[in-house]
Amino acid sequence: MRRLCMFLCTALLMWSPAATALGVLSLKIDRVEHPAFGLANLSFDFPSDGRVSLSIGALRIADHRWRRLRLECAGGGFDAAVLRCERGVLRLPGVRESVRVDFALDMVARAGTLELSVATRGRIAIELFADGSARANVSALDLTLLREWVPGLASVSPGGRFDGVFNWRPSRDIELSGRLDGGHFGTRDGLQAAENLGVEVSIRLSPGVGGWDWQATLDWQDGAAYLHPFYVEAGIWARAHGDFSDGRLNVREAAISLEGVEQLAASAVIDFRAGSLVRAAVALANADLAVVGPKWVAPLVAPAAGDRLKFAGRVSGAMEFEHGELRALDAVFDEAGFSLAGGDGGPGLAFGPMSGHVPWRENRSTQASLHIGGGWWQKLALGAFDLDARIEGRAVRVDRLRIPVLDGALVFDDLSLNDGDVGWVGGGSLVVEPLSMPLLTEAIGLPSMSGVLSASIPGLRVSPGEVALDGAMVVSVFDGYLRATGLRLLEPFGVGSHLFADIEARHIDLAQLTETFSFGSISGFVDADIRALELVRWKPVGFAARIDSSPGHYRRRISQRAVQNISALGGAGAMAAIQRGILGFFDTFGYSRIGFGCELHAGVCEMDGIGKPGADGRFVIVSGGGIPALDVIGYNPRVDWPVLVDRLQRVIAGNTAAEVR
Amino acid sequence: MKIAHLVCAVLMSASLSAVAQGNLEIDSPAIGALKQSMQQRHAQLAPLYQSGAVGIAADGSVALRSAASVPLAQRGQVNALISAENADRSALYREIARANGHPEWEGDVRKTFAERWVQRAQPGWWVQQGGGWVQK
Repeated sequence: MRRLCMFLCTALLMWSPAATALGVLSLKIDRVEHPAFGLANLSFDFPSDGRVSLSIGALRIADHRWRRLRLECAGGGFDAAVLRCERGVLRLPGVRESVRVDFALDMVARAGTLELSVATRGRIAIELFADGSARANVSALDLTLLREWVPGLASVSPGGRFDGVFNWRPSRDIELSGRLDGGHFGTRDGLQAAENLGVEVSIRLSPGVGGWDWQATLDWQDGAAYLHPFYVEAGIWARAHGDFSDGRLNVREAAISLEGVEQLAASAVIDFRAGSLVRAAVALANADLAVVGPKWVAPLVAPAAGDRLKFAGRVSGAMEFEHGELRALDAVFDEAGFSLAGGDGGPGLAFGPMSGHVPWRENRSTQASLHIGGGWWQKLALGAFDLDARIEGRAVRVDRLRIPVLDGALVFDDLSLNDGDVGWVGGGSLVVEPLSMPLLTEAIGLPSMSGVLSASIPGLRVSPGEVALDGAMVVSVFDGYLRATGLRLLEPFGVGSHLFADIEARHIDLAQLTETFSFGSISGFVDADIRALELVRWKPVGFAARIDSSPGHYRRRISQRAVQNISALGGAGAMAAIQRGILGFFDTFGYSRIGFGCELHAGVCEMDGIGKPGADGRFVIVSGGGIPALDVIGYNPRVDWPVLVDRLQRVIAGNTAAEVR
Repeated sequence: MKIAHLVCAVLMSASLSAVAQGNLEIDSPAIGALKQSMQQRHAQLAPLYQSGAVGIAADGSVALRSAASVPLAQRGQVNALISAENADRSALYREIARANGHPEWEGDVRKTFAERWVQRAQPGWWVQQGGGWVQK
């Protein structure tokens, strides 16, 4: 190890004592060098009045340099090889407050004392021993002084009070232990900041191969920090060791105690000269996702949805960084759970318990394998499934993913998703294996319907803010079917989430439909076309719908109750024009055709019926036929949609009496 | 102009401009939901604009300019607020382009809005111009 010069390195001293004509003794020293500090062009002047004046051409502490310093001592002198300064005042260029300096340095014994203090902002008392060792007591040092003393730290505005002890034993070790109270710092943009820090710190350095070996412990007891985007509170404890040489700090191993994590270890190499993180590795074991998820995961992956994102279970894993970039990641989930509540406060999406391994490497593909015990999408329960995915950089590919839903399944094939600069882009295909309608309607809270739902979507496309399904979803129900095409889910995770579809219904059995919804009784069949259906939070906000009796020969009867309900939908005095005289005498009536249309736009349903409307705007909804027969006629072609929906719900609930005129 | 009306005014002026240039139809239920969401959030963002913590970015988004004036414990929430606002803004630009039948216009819509947000920023707010922040 390089021999350290503890005190005034006599080998480097050049004495130039000289008495001037004015009786002033001068002592000049060219330079004093030490690994931790350096002095150049020292000049002591000893006037005859007992004062001592010291000028320092340049002072270096670590990498910081000051020039043209001047120390004026009110008392002191150079006596019996002891250089003394009493009540000295040191002024540093650019520093507001002067430093009070007292020292007594025995140049022969190479021992002495040095005391530095700044008004009420701290005191450093240094003892220098003949064996070359030194001890410094730091008392109530105001760290805001560092802003002035070390210009490089001004940008982070350090502050707080430090008390501690510094021991230096040349060729053996250096120890620093102390406590920071009320500590704080903050970058100008506020993205890195801390307040009210209470930290116990202990550092020990010893000479190593080509540099220093070090050990450190840190116990963060009070305060909080915001290290964008993370908000971190006290309660972290760390113990680390490593080496330092040529401006590189090597953290061989750091063991960190963090709330919610059973074990956390890290290593790193930091190049202070280049100001870069050369490499780092972090490994954690058995972390409680309910604790670490909201603090460390949500701010990073979904800050906007942090309140809606919930975590459960445990995760272990590792990360490797090089030159500040993530190079490798492994995450092993153990009974983990994730849920994202809907933007409208609904149940949203949830998966879990989930177990398995997700590896990622920057330069090669990896295979992730997860078993998911189940989940929820809106009100639908999802069954257990396995997810095997190939990960290449920012792309994920899944050959097949089968998610059981009720008694059917969603089967995705050839899924490929890329996380590009604009967001996730990709596609694949989807088949919905038949879901029984009784189970589906029960799950989503609709009256029970028979039939099945299935879908074949050969073109599933994902782009930022949009999921498009090129194909058809078919629901066989009420002896007929519904066929939905042109399905597009827009902004699926935002407040403006909405769904577009075109729906074609054929040969829907009105008897089953009206019985299911307790609407009275209508026998016969209808076809329907609903174009440009737009649902916002599952409620229609736009469509162009047309319903007509299906072609063919079949029984066509409508019950008195159904007539009354259709009438009731029109509101008081709005719709029905029926043969009042016969309504009360018969339970059912014949009809030849049912037909009406509704174009919903801006909350208003523009209605029409069979054929052209009359001059007064009347339109026929049910055209009578057979014996007895009646017509149901609509009078109001513009109906507020919310009002119509409200009336329909009340009719179905049986709370509205028909108004017949 | 009252702060509460600012969002609406910007949306209106942008839409009028867009209609004049490309016959854009911006009124849709999804756009309405996004406007409502943004207007509700504006009550929280307005003091942050005023303090300079959040600025109006040149790309039609908002950005954390200087969090130093925000209490430490709330900086994460401000970050979440900004993320939510930007998610809504991006969705709004897409929706306007879609409602016009031209999803590819999203970039132009965003640019138009970005200019309007900057123009309509109140005195004292920070806006991004020429790569730097300028206080109006």
